[in-house]
Amino acid sequence: MQKILDEFGNSQKELIHVLHRVKAKFGYIPPETIPEISRHLKITESEIYGVLTFYSAFSLKPRGKHTVTVCMGTACHVRGGPKILEEFERRLNIEAGHTTEDKQFTLETVACLGCCAIGPVVVVDDDYYAQTTVSKVEPILEKYKKEKKNAQD
Amino acid sequence: MKVIIDGKTIEAEENKTILELARENGIYIPSLCDHPGLAPFSGCRLCLVQIKGKKGYSPSCSIYIEDGMEVKTSTQELRKLRKNILELILTEHPNACLICSEKKECDEHKATIRKVGEVTGCVLCPNNGDCELQEIVEEIGVDIVDFPSYYRDMEVKRDDTFFDRNYNLCILCGRCVRICHEVRGCSSLSFVKRGPETVVSTSLDKRLIDSNCQFCGACLDVCPTGALIEKGKKYESLADDKAEMLCPLCSVGCKLEVNLGEGRLLNTQPAADGPANHGQACVKGRFLIKDLVYSRKRIEKPLIRRKKKLEEVDWNEALDWVAGKLKKYKGKETAVIRSTQVSCEDGYVLRRFADEVLKTGNISSEPAFSPYRELAQKLGFMPALNYKIEEISSAETIFILSSNISVSHPVVWLEIMKAVKNGARLIAASPIELQSNRFVSLQLRIEPGTENILLGRLQKILTGGESFKAANESKVEEKALREAAEILKSGKSPAFIFGSESIQGPIGREVLTKLWNTAFLTKGRLYYLGLESNSRGIFELDRNFSKKGRQIGLIIQDVIDDKVKALYLAGSRIELPKKARPEFFIVQDSYISKNTQIADAVLPAAVSAETEGVFVNMEGRVQKTAKVLKPLGETRPDWWITSQVAKRMGAEAFDYKKPSSIIKEIRNNLPGFAKVYYPALEKSKEIFIKEETSQKGKLFTQEITSLPERNNKRYPFRLILFYSLDSYRNLSLSETVRGFRMFRNSQWIHICLEDADKLKLKNGDSIEVLSPHGKIKGIARITKTLSPGLVAASPEYPIFNNLGLSNGLQVMIKRGK
Repeated sequence: MQKILDEFGNSQKELIHVLHRVKAKFGYIPPETIPEISRHLKITESEIYGVLTFYSAFSLKPRGKHTVTVCMGTACHVRGGPKILEEFERRLNIEAGHTTEDKQFTLETVACLGCCAIGPVVVVDDDYYAQTTVSKVEPILEKYKKEKKNAQD
Repeated sequence: MKVIIDGKTIEAEENKTILELARENGIYIPSLCDHPGLAPFSGCRLCLVQIKGKKGYSPSCSIYIEDGMEVKTSTQELRKLRKNILELILTEHPNACLICSEKKECDEHKATIRKVGEVTGCVLCPNNGDCELQEIVEEIGVDIVDFPSYYRDMEVKRDDTFFDRNYNLCILCGRCVRICHEVRGCSSLSFVKRGPETVVSTSLDKRLIDSNCQFCGACLDVCPTGALIEKGKKYESLADDKAEMLCPLCSVGCKLEVNLGEGRLLNTQPAADGPANHGQACVKGRFLIKDLVYSRKRIEKPLIRRKKKLEEVDWNEALDWVAGKLKKYKGKETAVIRSTQVSCEDGYVLRRFADEVLKTGNISSEPAFSPYRELAQKLGFMPALNYKIEEISSAETIFILSSNISVSHPVVWLEIMKAVKNGARLIAASPIELQSNRFVSLQLRIEPGTENILLGRLQKILTGGESFKAANESKVEEKALREAAEILKSGKSPAFIFGSESIQGPIGREVLTKLWNTAFLTKGRLYYLGLESNSRGIFELDRNFSKKGRQIGLIIQDVIDDKVKALYLAGSRIELPKKARPEFFIVQDSYISKNTQIADAVLPAAVSAETEGVFVNMEGRVQKTAKVLKPLGETRPDWWITSQVAKRMGAEAFDYKKPSSIIKEIRNNLPGFAKVYYPALEKSKEIFIKEETSQKGKLFTQEITSLPERNNKRYPFRLILFYSLDSYRNLSLSETVRGFRMFRNSQWIHICLEDADKLKLKNGDSIEVLSPHGKIKGIARITKTLSPGLVAASPEYPIFNNLGLSNGLQVMIKRGK
């Protein structure tokens, strides 16, 4: 942790950069890092917490290996976004905003991704899936589950 | 410049917002988020106005006036808009009572029911009748809310001390968040989450007590709703009267506004026009005054000891009995010890009583103003003691020496913080980190008790001289010191702020000389913090008496040696050692204590809110506190009690009817008080103690000879001592008030985690700090910012002096029994 902090100056402006760096390292923002960031940047813990909770990019809970984001924007919504989300929830056995017990998947929703033309959109990590349907949910998940298996083999 | 508001031409000065100007001229614009002292926020949108030549509507709280500006504040359009906005605000605030058609009848017949878990309407809200939101609704006239209501259904936070937080009532005006950040520099509160989920909270939603909150209560005082509610006021009636008094709990002398209900003190709030505090106070002035007035330990009737038992008697009997007994003792066999929390009138009468009636030189004030002036006089100069706290905010560099100022004098700390926000650089030379460390530009971590060496080295750097023998003892790197010297040289007139701790004990003289020299070399100025509410006043009184008082230690020793047989203790919290048992012991005080238990006579004194009198604060500012309450039971002011005893001992000229006649006498006899008149003080005229100074521009030579003890292996720890100002007369605040004890306890002995682990100590374990010179008992408190090998304690001052303990002493820690 100290190493991460040393990469940055003591300026308060660095907060977002530090948080991104911490997220890159741990996958989330462990709550116990807040006091350390606070001391280094001379911002109070409450202020950091305010910033952390403002941006959905930061999470205080451990995240799964893969993040599945289902778009709930207007365009995706009318084209069946909610049904697709339901299918993900059923298959992963978690509600949106949570992480599977095996820490493989975190399921999230988003209000709009800006690519309404190809909706309903699902994003897994950095991969975009256009015109998703309920039947495409399983293959998408299988792809990432397989990755894990391959890695194990 | 000229501004036209609602057709009225107003001559105005620059740098004002439209809202401010309108308010000054009696034009009402509603607002819920704006507050004097806070930066414009434009959050509530209620203050929208129309400006000629500008499209749409502008928030008047954040638009500054311009020449020729034409503003309309109350058109039909604006009224409709405001009503709509207020309706939107009310959708997230329980509004049933606000818009109820039966409101008027209900107000008359139903008392507010405050013992409820959930506040779902005004009749259940402890803030009912004292609520800005209610006023605004009344003013704008909302009788229906056209939008669906939304109740946040959040748990009410009751687990902190002093106040509860019910965010179901919060309208997110942000005043609390802003005052905590902008004015108090604490930033314990923050907006958390976003959009409709936004709430005010702390880091990880912890309790305030775990979020560095100082419980100054500023958030409470700016909250326009009942979201923040003082526990102590919750079940009280509404205030029917207001009055003002001075806070008696430290040397700042904050002016407080007292809310009274049926002659009872409900609570106190900092007064906006307080010359020393400017609308701010600290936890003590905000929350503890009520506790010290209505403490269960108050003594209400005179007591005298007959047949080994204390019995209640009336004043006549008690005074005659005391006077009769006292007469039997000769001058030197008597002694008077008085507190420096009593008024100048009380102090003066006590002094005359000792000099003229008892005819003894054994008079002491505890705690004494400081060795500062006396030491300075010995060195041959008379530094100016008067200053204004607000000057500090314009300093460019500030040097704080071994003082936990953000805890001991929070209101002074606010000025320091203002300076830092304006770009000043702050150097803190202290063995522990300041609580608000993030404002410090350079921390010089010195070993306790080596302040003299540090300053000596600093002076050497400034004068370009060579290093000296003891230089290595302060453990501060040369590089850091050079940086400090550079900072000090760069700013105009640095402010050197120090408390009593650093000039106490054997190194005091050296520290003070070197501090003076450093300030002289950098064209700086010394600011001495002072201790109790009237330590300066008592010091100024005593300075003008020809006879000198005696040190308290010597008096106590005389009691032990049976040379002093009759001891008169007035308001002092000094605890007599077990061996010191005077033959005749009079305690003139307000609370039950160890002293009253062994006293032969207890004369119950009224407390600060119950008496009027003159106090001199750390600035040398003379202020008068008013009598806002009837004295409890049969308690009487100190001056009355003492002068009655004197009269009954046959002394003349103790016939005071009221305190103003005492101040007249003081004014005529003591030149420092020449301008002190009650009527002028009551009109808040600025009066300072008159002082003669001789600030000769000169460096004083002073060898550094006092070195800290070393290498005593039996005592591996080093002690840091801070004054605790948490007592009033003979009452310990942390011992008495549970809520305060949760937050701060003068029994805490701070130790770092590593050392605590080694000694297998947990938070709350009882421990003893032992040295060859004495010991302190206390409660272990694990503190992250402390370095291994150090323990920090802030016992109440009398204990401090009794034990011969000083900063930097080698000590050992043992688990207590």
